Amino acid sequence: MDMSSRKILDRGFTSLGIFSVVLMAVTLAVLLTPIIIRGAGAFVFRETVENRRFTFDVFGRGDEAALEVEVADAAKARQPVYDMVAEFRAEVGQMSGRRKRDMQGQLRTVENLLRELLGPFPGEPRPVMPRSRYGKPRWDRAEVALGRLLTVEDYDYSDPTQLGKKVLTPRVEKFRGTKLEELFDYLPAHAEAMLRPEWTLNWRFLTDEPVDANIFGGIWPALLGTIYLTVGAMLFAVPMGVVTAIYLVEYAGSSRIVSLLRTFVSTLAGVPSIVFGLFGLAFFLNTLFDLHLFNQVLGISRSKTVLAGSLTLALLVLPTIIRAAEEAIRAVPHSYKEAALSLGATRWRTVVTVILPASLPGILTGIIISMGRAAGETAPIIFTAAVALGKVPSLTELHQQPTPALPWNIYNLCSENQAIEEIRHVQYGMVLVLVGLVLLLNVAAILLRARISRKLRG
Amino acid sequence: MEVQSTTGSRVRRRAETKLCLSRRQSLVRGILGRLGHGLLFVMASSSLLAVLFIFAFIIRDAVPFFRLRGFSEFFTSPHWHPASADSPEFGALAILFDHALVTLCAAMFTVPLGIVAAVCLSDVLPFAIRQIVKPIIEILAAIPSVAFGFFALVILTPLFQNHGGNVLAGALWAVGVPVMLIVTWVLSDILSSKFKVGARKAARWTVAAVLAGIQVALLVYLGGKLSSLVIVSGTNALNVSLVLGIMALPTVVSVSEDALTAVGRELREGSYALGATRAETLVKVVMPAAGSGLFAAAILGIMRAFGETMVVWMAAGNSARIPSPWYNILQPVRTLTATIAGEMGETDQTYGAAHYHSLFAMALCLLIVSFLCNFAAEWFVRRTHKRMGKLAK
Repeated sequence: MDMSSRKILDRGFTSLGIFSVVLMAVTLAVLLTPIIIRGAGAFVFRETVENRRFTFDVFGRGDEAALEVEVADAAKARQPVYDMVAEFRAEVGQMSGRRKRDMQGQLRTVENLLRELLGPFPGEPRPVMPRSRYGKPRWDRAEVALGRLLTVEDYDYSDPTQLGKKVLTPRVEKFRGTKLEELFDYLPAHAEAMLRPEWTLNWRFLTDEPVDANIFGGIWPALLGTIYLTVGAMLFAVPMGVVTAIYLVEYAGSSRIVSLLRTFVSTLAGVPSIVFGLFGLAFFLNTLFDLHLFNQVLGISRSKTVLAGSLTLALLVLPTIIRAAEEAIRAVPHSYKEAALSLGATRWRTVVTVILPASLPGILTGIIISMGRAAGETAPIIFTAAVALGKVPSLTELHQQPTPALPWNIYNLCSENQAIEEIRHVQYGMVLVLVGLVLLLNVAAILLRARISRKLRG
Repeated sequence: MEVQSTTGSRVRRRAETKLCLSRRQSLVRGILGRLGHGLLFVMASSSLLAVLFIFAFIIRDAVPFFRLRGFSEFFTSPHWHPASADSPEFGALAILFDHALVTLCAAMFTVPLGIVAAVCLSDVLPFAIRQIVKPIIEILAAIPSVAFGFFALVILTPLFQNHGGNVLAGALWAVGVPVMLIVTWVLSDILSSKFKVGARKAARWTVAAVLAGIQVALLVYLGGKLSSLVIVSGTNALNVSLVLGIMALPTVVSVSEDALTAVGRELREGSYALGATRAETLVKVVMPAAGSGLFAAAILGIMRAFGETMVVWMAAGNSARIPSPWYNILQPVRTLTATIAGEMGETDQTYGAAHYHSLFAMALCLLIVSFLCNFAAEWFVRRTHKRMGKLAK
């Protein structure tokens, strides 16, 4: 091989490396960009008058007088629609035979689509479900609903060898020559007048209760539940982890015990998270909390609870905390310890007054990182703590009640909800909140560590 | 005044008593010290206890299944119908196969890329860029798995379903063209070295042209085939393998970077002094020296993909059958983790129900494999350190 080939191979290898580094950066960007952009849509969006009505009726927020004026204006703009529909209904009544049946069906479809867009017709009884009580709360969803009203989506199966082809035809074709024909010109022209969209910044998305399968309202229960679970996990994991690290570094005499314990720590770190979930179910719920002491005397429930979820998550993050704390304690200069011992302090006193304060920033870094890990884990809490719907328990019943949690609700909303398409913005918003929370914790940890290393260097 | 005098006397008394311990006091201190030590040991062995308890309880709930149904059905039958009322079947072969398939695909993608990226980080990129890339890797590692699952389900799945063929063809071209250029250059050089010096240049160009032609034809043919491919379901093994691979990348990168830095400067400098290029130094000297560490990195990365639940549950399609033909990764699959997550909620969660225990049997499989892998990885890591220690001496 001559020199140029060797050089090219060298460059090829280098570029492969740079390619994979760039790939990671690009992946991160590709992953985060849609989540950030579309997640922001949960906070900043064009709110229709229907959402303002909902917010006033359910949460009691908003200016009543201004809202009344607005609703009256919107009703004025909507009146021609209802008039046209009424006229057409009378027209259909005069038809006969097959055409009448056909047109009745068509009319019913249009009426239902109108109800979806604008809410119930005036004078109709008040529906039970909030989603049918109000029209579309968001302008982007209203535009989709309007599109479905204006065009008919059909599939063409004429070629049996191919999958059905989507065919879009304007709905107005079906109503040519009838009194409803005008409606399809009126709707797009006056949609904004009927729904009055306005840009809003809805930070209440974080603090509102969800209403009707998350179509309205926010994600407060899931957020609070995640905070409970994470903090709970830390309450159990931090003391255990830090004490283990202290023991490993300062107390364990023989290196055999240290390496044995360390092997078990890394084994624990390698256990798949779903296995933690099953273990939580089999041990905490089906065995430990089934005991008379826990169940009857302490009143801990045998079904999913925040307590069981926190314990399971604590086991999951234990290795991370142990490793971080061990590293931090090892990094404390030996002279500190020797000085304390030479002053006559006992070993424990040295640990508590000298070594722990000196290694605190490092330990905190580990704690923050494992908080991020605990907040984002789903599999361990599926069977031990999480429910899709429901309220967050109060602080006094954390040992008796399950809770919604962000990761589990994300799964639920995007694969088991009844209105998956309708609440895409909620799903993205939730993912954004979760990822934001975790990244915030991690950035804090990175900054903290940078400060420590600067301190150590300088 | 009075307060001052009392504190003064207390200090004096304390000083008198503390300087010299009586025998009783030192005995009490000794006992307390021992007790404290014992207590610390008990708390410190929490991780040990946790591991033992996890094994004990998973085994306890898995054993009744094997006692009820035996081993052979679980491992040899591909029919998984646990909820059938009259004749439930518990053949997990298809699920085991799918799990292995998804893990292997993810590994094939993540291990080479991760190791090369680690090499790049440790030897190629300047320090300033490294400082930027490391936090990126950390952030990638921190993103919750459910967010990756969401990405796979909501963004990748429609992409595959609607433009699957074109996406694959685009990826083929993006990877294929640079590879083709390098292969052409190097092969033409090697092949033309057989010719006489005078004719070498001409021979090289002809060989290069022929090689490039063959490869372009191959690319066009494969690209055409791929772009005419219709992916019926966007939730398939390829989709999750990609995402799992990305999730495992940070693990592979950080572990192998540690191994590569442990190799030390002397070996590298020796190799450069002998006239090797950077790639040759890395491939022939540094990577073999860090071999066991790189193995450990690969194993740990594969384990990350192996134990993942949410991504596969959300985006793998959840169909418990072996793809036909078996290597067809464009078909929906279902893994052990997804089965456990999906079915545990539906089963009767009581002791004695076969379905409940069958899921624990799956968990036991997961646990054993991850335990063995972990052990192997640890062994490899220790070996690297030992070797490097010897080299340093």
